[in-house]
Amino acid sequence: MTLSASDLAIDLKTQALANARRHGSDGDALTDLEAASFPERKTERWKYTSLKALADGHLNAVANGEISQPLPALSEFVVTINNGQLQGSSLPAGVNLHHDAPVVNGLQTPFAAYNGAVCGQPVVLEVAANTRIEQPIHLQIQSASEAPAHCNPRVIVKLNAGAEATVIEHYHAEGQALTNAVTALITADNATLTHYRLQGEQANTLHIGTLIIDQQGVSKVDSYQLMTGNRLRRNDVRALVNKSGAELNMKGIFVVRDKSHVDNQLCVEHAVPNCQSDQNFRGLAGESGKAVFNGRIHIHPFASGTNAELSNKNLLLNPGAEINTKPELEIYNDDVKCAHGTTVGQLDAGQQFYLQSRGIPAAEAKRMLSLGFVNELLMALPDAAVTEWAQPWLEAELTHASPAGDAA
Amino acid sequence: MSQAELDKLIRSNYEAGFSTTVDTETLPPGLSEEVIRFLSAKKEEPEWMLEWRLDSYRKWQEMPSPGWAHLHHDPIDFNKVSYYSKPKSLDDAPKSLDEVDPELLATYEKLGIPLHEQEMLAGVAVDVVFDSSSVFTTFKEKLWEAGVIFCSISEAIQNHPELIKKYLGSVVPKGDNFYAALNSAVFSDGSFVYIPKGVRCPMELSTYFRINEANTGQFERTLIIADEGSHVSYLEGCTAPQRDENQLHAAVVELVALPGAEIKYSTVQNWYPGDENGKGGIYNFVTKRGVAHDNSKISWTQVETGSAITWKYPSVILRGDNSIGEFYSVALTRHMQQADTGTKMIHLGKNTKSTIISKGISAGRSSNSYRGLVRISPRAENARNFTQCDSLLLGDTCGAHTFPYIESKNPSATIEHEATTSKVSDDQMFLCRQRGIDPEKAVSMIVNGFCKEVFKELPMEFAVEAGKLLEVSLEGAVG
Repeated sequence: MTLSASDLAIDLKTQALANARRHGSDGDALTDLEAASFPERKTERWKYTSLKALADGHLNAVANGEISQPLPALSEFVVTINNGQLQGSSLPAGVNLHHDAPVVNGLQTPFAAYNGAVCGQPVVLEVAANTRIEQPIHLQIQSASEAPAHCNPRVIVKLNAGAEATVIEHYHAEGQALTNAVTALITADNATLTHYRLQGEQANTLHIGTLIIDQQGVSKVDSYQLMTGNRLRRNDVRALVNKSGAELNMKGIFVVRDKSHVDNQLCVEHAVPNCQSDQNFRGLAGESGKAVFNGRIHIHPFASGTNAELSNKNLLLNPGAEINTKPELEIYNDDVKCAHGTTVGQLDAGQQFYLQSRGIPAAEAKRMLSLGFVNELLMALPDAAVTEWAQPWLEAELTHASPAGDAA
Repeated sequence: MSQAELDKLIRSNYEAGFSTTVDTETLPPGLSEEVIRFLSAKKEEPEWMLEWRLDSYRKWQEMPSPGWAHLHHDPIDFNKVSYYSKPKSLDDAPKSLDEVDPELLATYEKLGIPLHEQEMLAGVAVDVVFDSSSVFTTFKEKLWEAGVIFCSISEAIQNHPELIKKYLGSVVPKGDNFYAALNSAVFSDGSFVYIPKGVRCPMELSTYFRINEANTGQFERTLIIADEGSHVSYLEGCTAPQRDENQLHAAVVELVALPGAEIKYSTVQNWYPGDENGKGGIYNFVTKRGVAHDNSKISWTQVETGSAITWKYPSVILRGDNSIGEFYSVALTRHMQQADTGTKMIHLGKNTKSTIISKGISAGRSSNSYRGLVRISPRAENARNFTQCDSLLLGDTCGAHTFPYIESKNPSATIEHEATTSKVSDDQMFLCRQRGIDPEKAVSMIVNGFCKEVFKELPMEFAVEAGKLLEVSLEGAVG
């Protein structure tokens, strides 16, 4: 028997609360979870994403499988978290790993509340003041489970004043694992953070993730978010640009194919004057893939002098695929510059003709053009190690996503 | 421009604020099946119409009132609304304008709607709705010659039941949404237009709406059917006298463009927006929708400057192949006004095209939202949409928001959306003032320029009125 969405929401909450109590969680974390309501069919923020996959009972068990294809190290500094538990780390001087987590502001989703109630030991990476970490820190967050099960990794990256670092947040999952992750990036004055979020888990896995970017100081954060679809991928990204002069850039690529699903919910909050934010996301949907993008810019009443932009371009590669996008502006101040643009379209017929007239087969031409569509962002990644890893990965996805055949 | 000047400008009074004392027969407030029966009986409606209303009422009772819009207001008590009011002197219907209640005529005179002049000079047939029933329909005979039916919907129910049965509720079903269901149950009156095959309507059709009786809800129902290959341009304009109590308005407009037909629907809405503290003003919840069949075109143009609350999404269902939908909108909010308005373009047919141009201007402590949906269904091959929504903020206490939903399920479709937010820049003001243009004129000019793209879509007479309206509103709203 299939559950209705509202019954499922009640089930999930009951299960989540039971798990939290068994885990011995109390205080604010438990109160937050008690107050949270899981999405139902009519919940606006979950309009395009159904949680019915969770009816398989992912919350009933904790993932503890062996990782059979662990991620390769993309840097000499690595932190590995398997099934939500810290496995090991090698870190440079100036980076301190501890478990004394600061309060994370801006969490809103029920899943983040659940993560907070049961995560146990959050991993906190603290970069000392005025320290520059040359090499990226590769955060490998992996999970595996043959049967439906879940894990709750929680990572907080904190850059103290004047610190500079690159963090690669890299997810991998096998079997039917659900990764319910919370990541927070906190930056103090004059900090510079380059952040990657790479999500390429296996097709049957699920990922529900919350990313908080909390710019507490005049800092610069560049975040690159690359992902492919799996059975269910939901990213709630919330950026709090909280100190005048702060700058935030987010760029991203999402590719869905087969029956995979990606739902990105981004929200940039400008609460203080004279900050800058830029978001640029590109999406491709092929086969029966479904992609959702919701990009919101919220300018609070006192945030004069804000400069905020958002661009989301999408390609629909074949019938059966679906793209839903909604760029939102919520503005309460007149002295701002705000713009967003969105397109959904197909590969340019003229460009395809050009390639085919030079002897390139239709399917190959399609693949080349799809790759060209994302390459602009891919090539702009500042770390070569990431580009080298990401390019073949996305290329393989695109090859599948743009099947041979009609070149229309 | 300084805050002080701004404040001064924001405090201007509503020019159309006056009320007429006409003897009216008004039903006590409250809604029940009995009220609907009374209403239907009063209008001498056939049994099937009463059933239709009652069915809608039952649907409405089971629906929750929508809470998704970016609007804040106290819950509306639908039992405090009176569902029937009609000028008494209408019982013995006037045969010519001379027989019309002189006080009514004076009201229109004050509003600058010279009925006589319009009849003779402008060549515009006016179906005037004063509260709940049609006062007089001019040019009916001339239209009759062309085969055009232009009458009140009550008359159409009596005289053209086959058309009403076929099309009423065909675009906006009885249970479509909360306010549409309410309207279906209690609609008071409105206009009915039928353009026969291949006919180009010889004149622009126009209705002026006017809310007069305090505590009276108005529930217009408009149905326009353009048969194959026909063409019609319809103008709707509104203005209401100043009242302290919130007045509810829930209209439904249905457009049917049969193959090859073209319907152009223009609205200027200037109902009482409430004072600067948000006291009073009209609550305007409107469902407007058109169905476009093969090779047809539906175009909505609206200029919204009034109402305390505007909840309005004129939409087009592009059902037929090669059909076209357009939406041009200017929404101006000031004081404590709240507008949540936009459009839906549902692409179902092949080679369908839609264009959305929305201009939002917010001032004072108002809130102005664009909410739109562009949906491309799997079989809408080569569908095309272009959307542009621009916001202009005047002052730092107002809000401008954009919520565009874009859903595409066809790879051959192309959708573009862009939105910008800006203010009247110091450079623009400097340039104007340097040339001796006073600040108020300068702002008015700049805002007019901002809205140009929409104004040019309005029929000429309306464009003039809209421009004037904007200027009047800006007098009190801008810096």
